[in-house]
Amino acid sequence: MSTQSYNPFETAQHQFDHVADLLDLGQATRDLLRWPMREYHFSIPVRMDDGSVHIYRGFRVQHNDARGPGKGGIRFHPMETIDTVRALAVWMTWKCAVVDIPLGGSKGGVVCDPHNMSQREVEQLCRGWVRQVSRNVGPVLDVPAPDVMTNPQNMLWMLDEYEVIHGGKYPGFITGKPLSIGGSQGRKEATGYGVIFTVREALKDLKLKPQGVTASVQGFGNVAQYAVELLQQIGGTVVCVSSWDQGAKCAFSFRKKSGVSVEELRTITDPFGGIDRGKAQDLGYEVLQEDAWIEQDVDMLIPAALENQITRDNVGRIGKGVKLIAEAANGPTTSEADVALCARNMFVIPDFLANAGGVTCSYFEQVQSNMNYYWNKDEVFGKLDTTMTSAYHAVRETANKRKLTMREAAYVISISRVAQACKDRGWV
Amino acid sequence: MKENDKSVEHLLRSLKERAKELNCLYEVEELFSKSEITLDEISSGIVRSIPAGWQYPEVCVAQVEIDGAICASPGFRESPWALHAALDVQGEIVGSITVCYLEERPAADEGPFFKEERKLINTIADRLERRILHEKLKRVFENQKLTHPQDHEWEVIIDLLRRTDPKLLTRLLRKMLNYLSWAGIEDADRILATFNPSMSGGSATPGMDDNRPVHVMKKPDLLSLTEEIFRIASDHLSEKEILNNIQNWIKEDRSGFLVKILENAGSSLAEISSAIERFHHLSPQGIELSSPRERAFRVSLIRRLLSDHPQFINTAKQYLDVNDFYELLHRVIYPAGSHGRLGGKGAGLFLASNMLQKSRADGEDVSTILTPKTWYLTSDGILNFINYNDLEEIVEQKYEDIGQVRQEYPYIVHVFKNSPLPPEIVTGLSVALDDFGDTPLIVRSSSLLEDRLGTSFAGKYKSLFIANQGTKQQRLVALMDAITEVYASTFGPDPIEYRLERRLLDSHEEMGVLIQEVIGVRVGEYYLPAFSGVAFSNNEFRWSKRIRREDGLLRMVPGLGTRAVDRMTDDYPVLVAPGQPGLRVNVTLDEQVRYSPRKVDVINLRSQTFETVDLRDLIERCSDDYPLLDQLVSILRDNRFERFASATPDPETGFPVATFEGLISRSPFVEQMKNILGVLQREFRMPVDIEFAHDGRNLYLLQCRPQSYSETSQPAIIPRDIPRHKVLFTANRYVSNGTVASITHIVYVDPQRYAEIKRHADLVAVGKAIGRLNQSLPKRQFILIGPGRWGSRGDIKLGVSVTYSDISNTAMLIEVARKQREYEPELSFGTHFFQDLVEADIRYLPLYPDETGTAFNESFFTQSPNVLKDLLPDMAQLESIVRVIDVPASTNGLVVSILMNGETDEAVGLLGEPSAEPVTERAQPSEIEASPKEDDSHWRWRLRTVHELTARLDPSRFGVKAAYIFGSTKNATAGPKSDINLLLHFTGTSQQKKELVHWLEGWSLSLGHMNYLRTGIAIERFLDVHFITDEDIRKRTSYAAKIGATTDPARPLPVGGKVPPSVT
Repeated sequence: MSTQSYNPFETAQHQFDHVADLLDLGQATRDLLRWPMREYHFSIPVRMDDGSVHIYRGFRVQHNDARGPGKGGIRFHPMETIDTVRALAVWMTWKCAVVDIPLGGSKGGVVCDPHNMSQREVEQLCRGWVRQVSRNVGPVLDVPAPDVMTNPQNMLWMLDEYEVIHGGKYPGFITGKPLSIGGSQGRKEATGYGVIFTVREALKDLKLKPQGVTASVQGFGNVAQYAVELLQQIGGTVVCVSSWDQGAKCAFSFRKKSGVSVEELRTITDPFGGIDRGKAQDLGYEVLQEDAWIEQDVDMLIPAALENQITRDNVGRIGKGVKLIAEAANGPTTSEADVALCARNMFVIPDFLANAGGVTCSYFEQVQSNMNYYWNKDEVFGKLDTTMTSAYHAVRETANKRKLTMREAAYVISISRVAQACKDRGWV
Repeated sequence: MKENDKSVEHLLRSLKERAKELNCLYEVEELFSKSEITLDEISSGIVRSIPAGWQYPEVCVAQVEIDGAICASPGFRESPWALHAALDVQGEIVGSITVCYLEERPAADEGPFFKEERKLINTIADRLERRILHEKLKRVFENQKLTHPQDHEWEVIIDLLRRTDPKLLTRLLRKMLNYLSWAGIEDADRILATFNPSMSGGSATPGMDDNRPVHVMKKPDLLSLTEEIFRIASDHLSEKEILNNIQNWIKEDRSGFLVKILENAGSSLAEISSAIERFHHLSPQGIELSSPRERAFRVSLIRRLLSDHPQFINTAKQYLDVNDFYELLHRVIYPAGSHGRLGGKGAGLFLASNMLQKSRADGEDVSTILTPKTWYLTSDGILNFINYNDLEEIVEQKYEDIGQVRQEYPYIVHVFKNSPLPPEIVTGLSVALDDFGDTPLIVRSSSLLEDRLGTSFAGKYKSLFIANQGTKQQRLVALMDAITEVYASTFGPDPIEYRLERRLLDSHEEMGVLIQEVIGVRVGEYYLPAFSGVAFSNNEFRWSKRIRREDGLLRMVPGLGTRAVDRMTDDYPVLVAPGQPGLRVNVTLDEQVRYSPRKVDVINLRSQTFETVDLRDLIERCSDDYPLLDQLVSILRDNRFERFASATPDPETGFPVATFEGLISRSPFVEQMKNILGVLQREFRMPVDIEFAHDGRNLYLLQCRPQSYSETSQPAIIPRDIPRHKVLFTANRYVSNGTVASITHIVYVDPQRYAEIKRHADLVAVGKAIGRLNQSLPKRQFILIGPGRWGSRGDIKLGVSVTYSDISNTAMLIEVARKQREYEPELSFGTHFFQDLVEADIRYLPLYPDETGTAFNESFFTQSPNVLKDLLPDMAQLESIVRVIDVPASTNGLVVSILMNGETDEAVGLLGEPSAEPVTERAQPSEIEASPKEDDSHWRWRLRTVHELTARLDPSRFGVKAAYIFGSTKNATAGPKSDINLLLHFTGTSQQKKELVHWLEGWSLSLGHMNYLRTGIAIERFLDVHFITDEDIRKRTSYAAKIGATTDPARPLPVGGKVPPSVT
């Protein structure tokens, strides 16, 4: 039965096969890249608060490390399956390669529900996970990070356990650390800024001046806020943002035709991007329906909230003047909507590329931790700009040369880079 | 200014009175201190001193009578305005003191007399009694010495008693005889047998059981047996034992007056109060009473002051003693001749706080929990008030039609608030206010029916906050205003309806009032506790299967507890299970912030109003004043929580979130609450809920009562004899209490088919379909049944990916755990939006169909007709996965109800007739038969009035072609909260539309008001009108799809007397 059901790993393999055909990869390369290079499955005993012992199942999957040490998060999920972890490890390989940072792809997880655990038990689980794989991970082997239901605190417990086992200080073992203990400057801004770095380059290609360009943004969380901030800094105007309203249990769009002000909105926004509706009205914002953001007469849309937001149903409502969509969220466009956008000749910066600022900054954190020397914010942003800009151009060139969509081109370039590294090492 | 003068004047006057009384007492004391003075001299001295000590000396006369000897003021005569104090020496009335006014004077506490004057006369009498006894003993003793010298000390006492108090001696003899008999001494039995020959066998009393009167022989004189009895005693008992017994019995005998008062049902609270006072003064350290007498006192006092509920008495008598009542009575305000009680809330709080105090004394680990300073107004105060203002006819009001009750209620409130309280109550309140000072107060209802088992009346009667600021007079007026408003709420439509439903309308109801200081501190211009909340000893909202019912639940908020008591629509309380404080509801950062309290209820001392303010604003402005902030608030910085250091609005340095983290993990608070709940539940022998507040220094208990359940969360009775085909599913794990009734639609996501979906996009589509069904199905009349974890994000294969807004209208969320090949899926318990479910009262139930002993009627879910394609034609491709079952349509008019009983951990979903719905099924057997409500009344009158409306609708004037009705009114499922869904086919001009909207608005308002009168529920837009155009009908867009639809099709209504065009 389960072989028939939706399997994310199979989907990842199909995606790979498609690109492998385009690249005409050899069989050995395909066999290598279709499967993870290594998988660790292990049991983690945890002494529970009531004295009993519970055994948790843990995983670490290292898909490919030809380009450098593995990089990928650790997920705590009650119904974690190995196929999900495999698929996510594969995607990490491609994601690191598309921005050309020297890292491979990994992912890990534990089958557990933190809702059923106390903090002490979670700590034991974090430490237990490290004890089981401490020989197979590390700053020069495989670097974990926070993911679904794991947080910076969990990372510190893991780091601490790793350092105890290895008898030294290895801040580069893990990323997502708080600033005070080996984190990187600019982490908060990285994803949002990264989106705009690619947007800036795309505007050049579209022969639009950043001054006077208009945008509508879905969401007002971390990513959206910094994207809006940087877009305004380079001269653009954001006329509409949308945000979830916890009280009304639905989202609203907030429009100010003269341009929204991030500073102003931040003062009335909670930490997860919820804008206070009443106060926004007082500040002169029009409060519109939840999906009004998509219908605005602007030059570009930046979906920066959830997956599956541009769908077959609403793709037709996108304004006539929209020339560019930058996917700041993960998978904001459904496949049917994607087809419609292609037909409209819309220029789409795929999520994969557009929001790679986050993983790039994680890489920077690891680099700084390894040399135990930390850059200031401007240094981080400068390096981020360089990385994102060259990544964009590489994808753009590939798209032009091979007559591909940006999305296809992003996959093509990352898979070819990984394949090349394997070849260079003489593996295939 | 004037007010001020008045109150100062009043104060001066009462001080003068007290001084006069003291003087009088000094003079009398002086008399007693003279050693050579005779009783006659004392009497005349008292008579001389008394008038000057009373309020109106010019008309005051006194008289003392001892053993027939009378001593009186000149001109003494009996008058109707008199105070008497009997002189009781060893249980025998030997005389009296009388104080009279010769002319009428204004009424005070007891006739024209102050209660201080009553105390004074009692004190004098007490003093005099002791002197009389002393004199008597002296005389006897002198005689004794002269006649015959004794060997034993006890013999002296017996001899003394024989001369002075033969009645007491008789009682002692009886006790001694019984004592000896108990000790198994045959001689004693022999004497006892002379009273009743049938007792000769010793202990057995066979004759007593016969159904005929016991034949009692002529009563021998016990006194004549004195010598014999004591001879037997001295043969068998030691000298010391005899003496001890005699001393104890005599001491106990001195409390006889209290027995008399307490056993007399006619004695008033005033009499009880002064008897207890006297008892206390007899020996402030307490008299050593025999345990039966002690118990009798406790029980009588509990019955008179707290409750006559046997279960309550049984519990309370273990914790309350006479001295507790002595303290209590000082803070009870009652009308003259009162026979009232404290009422449910007052009694519960008084008992619980004593219970905790004593458990602590017994070494239980219950840290200090205080009770706020509380004054009590007895339950018959309201009758006194009604009587004083001639408002008797209002009492009958409860038998009127509920609509009329509702209509008249504002008038009653008006009348009550404009009627004065009787003067003796006002005086009491004034004393109470002096005791409170200017702390804000809460005036709480404490009725006799309230807070009893099964009838919590939660939120039915009023509780009012008053700021208690300003001059004494202003504060007194505000307090009286609040009390009369609480009184008025006795006759409010909600409690009357509640009593009607529970057949309590005929039960006698009285309203006591608790006046309690509000626990809190000043924060800026506000007054509020650091935090407060409610605690339940049974947890009905378990978010993890590791949490057991008995782990309890705390609902806490910053500020006043009003936000914790009620469900909130726009905010969340902090939830903790005291038995499992480590298992948090909210685990991820996102959950912790999203579900944290953002608002605070406070008393604004400046405007003297109750307000809700924003927590962040409050912290920014007054972080220095707010107590315990570092325990209540965490700072979100760099994606993790840090301890609160100082409040800075700068987003760079962090964002304050009310997590209560410090309180939960770094303070003993949760452990303390767990112990408190444990003790209370154990001692009350039932689950309890309590309200509490913390002012930064101390924790206070505000209320304690049997755990209350809302209408829908009573434990349901699971019927045992349901025919198999009526059962849809059963569950026997992690069940909470409650009933979900009148379900007309089931949305079933087939677990098997869902697991087989191959494309990610299709999984996403299922979530979208649920979101759209949530909008189109009738609110709270459908349930969602689906595989695994509702609300899964990312790994949506494990459960349908929905957000809260996609399920917000469901009545219930059911998760099905079907065994996969080797493992059973872990269910979510709704944790993705747990607190949203709690606040919206959406129930959750996990099903484990593969477990033995459970039923799961899979074929019903998979074989019943699926109406998905009619509702969402564009999503018809999901038909095999998402099944929407129109229950009445597929079962010949049946509906589904789900009965859940957390006590037995059982739940059942079953099909039944809509009329036979167990709407408010309860587990208290006495209440099952209650509530024969006509449940169809709501939709009937709705339908009738809609017909009337459309008949009056002029089609040509308004450009209306046709009208349709759909939704709950058409489906005959409308409840008191339902609106009316109308569909108008409109073809007119914009001017006509404007007029039409205007016309409909008038209807909507007046129908809404009619509904309000019937139910008390105000609905903003009672008529929910949707306009459709020709084009809509052609394209079947918008609500036009409802016409001729499969599920809930709109039904045409005659417009302007004409029949609408037929629609196919």
